[in-house]
Amino acid sequence: MNVIEVRGLRKTYKSTLGKRVTALEGIDFDVAPGELFGLLGPNGAGKTTTVKILLGLTRATEGTATIGGLPVSDPESRRRVGYLPEGHKIPGYLTAKQALSIFGRMSGMTSADLTARSKELLDVVGLGAWGDVRVKKFSKGMTQRLGLACALVHRPTVLLLDEPTDGVDPVGRREIRDLLQHQARTDGTAVLLNSHLLSEIELTCDRVAVLRRGKVAVAGRIEELTRTTAQYRMVASPVDENLLAAFRETGAAVERVNGHLVLSVHDLQHLNTLVDRTRSAGVMLSELTPVRSTLEDVFVDLVRTEAAQ
Amino acid sequence: MKVLFANIEDVMREAAARWTLIAYFCLSTLFVIIFAFSVNLDVVDGALAGAKLFGNNVNMNGSSVSIEKVVLGFESGFSGFLYFLCTFLAIFATAHLVPRMQEKGTVDLYLSRPISRFKLLMSRYFAGLILAGTNIAYLIGSMWLIVVWKTHVVHPRFLLAGLIIFFVVATLLAFAFLIGVVTSSTAVSIMSSYAVFFFGFMLAGHKRFAAAVSKEWQAGLINGLYWVLPKTAEMFGAVISFVSEQRLPRELGGALTPTPFLATGAFAVGCLALASWLFHRKEF
Repeated sequence: MNVIEVRGLRKTYKSTLGKRVTALEGIDFDVAPGELFGLLGPNGAGKTTTVKILLGLTRATEGTATIGGLPVSDPESRRRVGYLPEGHKIPGYLTAKQALSIFGRMSGMTSADLTARSKELLDVVGLGAWGDVRVKKFSKGMTQRLGLACALVHRPTVLLLDEPTDGVDPVGRREIRDLLQHQARTDGTAVLLNSHLLSEIELTCDRVAVLRRGKVAVAGRIEELTRTTAQYRMVASPVDENLLAAFRETGAAVERVNGHLVLSVHDLQHLNTLVDRTRSAGVMLSELTPVRSTLEDVFVDLVRTEAAQ
Repeated sequence: MKVLFANIEDVMREAAARWTLIAYFCLSTLFVIIFAFSVNLDVVDGALAGAKLFGNNVNMNGSSVSIEKVVLGFESGFSGFLYFLCTFLAIFATAHLVPRMQEKGTVDLYLSRPISRFKLLMSRYFAGLILAGTNIAYLIGSMWLIVVWKTHVVHPRFLLAGLIIFFVVATLLAFAFLIGVVTSSTAVSIMSSYAVFFFGFMLAGHKRFAAAVSKEWQAGLINGLYWVLPKTAEMFGAVISFVSEQRLPRELGGALTPTPFLATGAFAVGCLALASWLFHRKEF
């Protein structure tokens, strides 16, 4: 059973002059327990609106959204949801421990349970020594780590994270990535990640949905979206113009990129023909790898398509 | 209850961190200290034989006055002053509770918890009442103790007048919450609450105003506003009347009657209900 289910979600905002702006035009997606799901899209695509609807911060104009089988309008649906908003402001007058205590109790935890949990979590997010320091003294990356701890404090089964690695250094990003993967794989937490850092999403998530103009433009597993193309990267030496001409005679497109060749071929047999020609020309072949498109390529293609339209 | 206690802790920590709580109690303490040292009474056989105020002798015209009467007169006058002081300090110290909670990046942290918006708003309201109530109790309780210490006259009505002041503060805080939900502005909440407080006073003379205007709808509007807004003038009268056990001028409520309390209470409940409904419907 899916933990998050979104069906036909529509959201129209009314401006002060009565003009209607459509943020979501009927989107559908599911997130299963233990799954890391990424929500992508250009600015204004509807990502934040989707997350806000899931948290009951705003209401859908049409459609349904459920968390753990409960409609998102029911506060109980948030009982096991951890949320890290983008640009969150944990009150600066609280210490890290006090913040965890207040937000933990608001999620129904007891003070006794919170003492041990706070210590454990602060260690996990690398703030073990900062528990009694006021949040206003924290750097952006530290505040972000504490925000993540606040989202995790009540042992949620669903995590909704908006730009979780924003302002975090590369080592911290890796730690957060590992933590999220641990949460998903070990504890079965469903993670919905909303980020502009496509490389982060690619490294962290199992599945993504790319929103465009309030609709799901592309959705699927990362490996499906970043599938192998008909291109191969060849590293060989020495490569002269005669060899390139010989490749082109077969109908292959050849391009020199940063000291290696990018070959566009029809099929595997065609590729092997090129390899034969390389070897017969006495050229030493040191690497031949298929070129996969990145999530960024998928994303940029979609945005360009949008611009062209 | 966990939510309520978590909110109370949050509100108190914020008040302490922003110096609101400290300034609130320091001002009150300063006031209490000045009072304690400025009044010196010479009581002989249950009568006031002499008095000094800020070191200056008070002219008694050679006669002695019953200390009971002096205390009653002093306390009734002073309760009126405390009515203004407590109300103004309380609103100033608590009007930020909703606007601060509704700040972008903060409201998400509160609303993403498994609590209804009604419960969240009400728990902050109660936290605000505890903050204001503690100060009222401190200020009035201290003054009462000083009076008992200096005169040995125990007059609990002065102490109980704090409840009426607390009732007015609760009403104005409900209004400040309503304005806070709508505007998300602390400044507007404070100004509006003070405006309602003064309008309430002005409208005590609603009958004269209504008689002075030329159009019927204007008179209706003035009378309507009088019945809708809290009866701050009557509450002021009620505080003094309660302490002095005397009937006041009609415009200040005359004797203690339940009508101004009921009307003011209805205003508070109406404000809280509207604030809750708007907060429930508000999109962030």
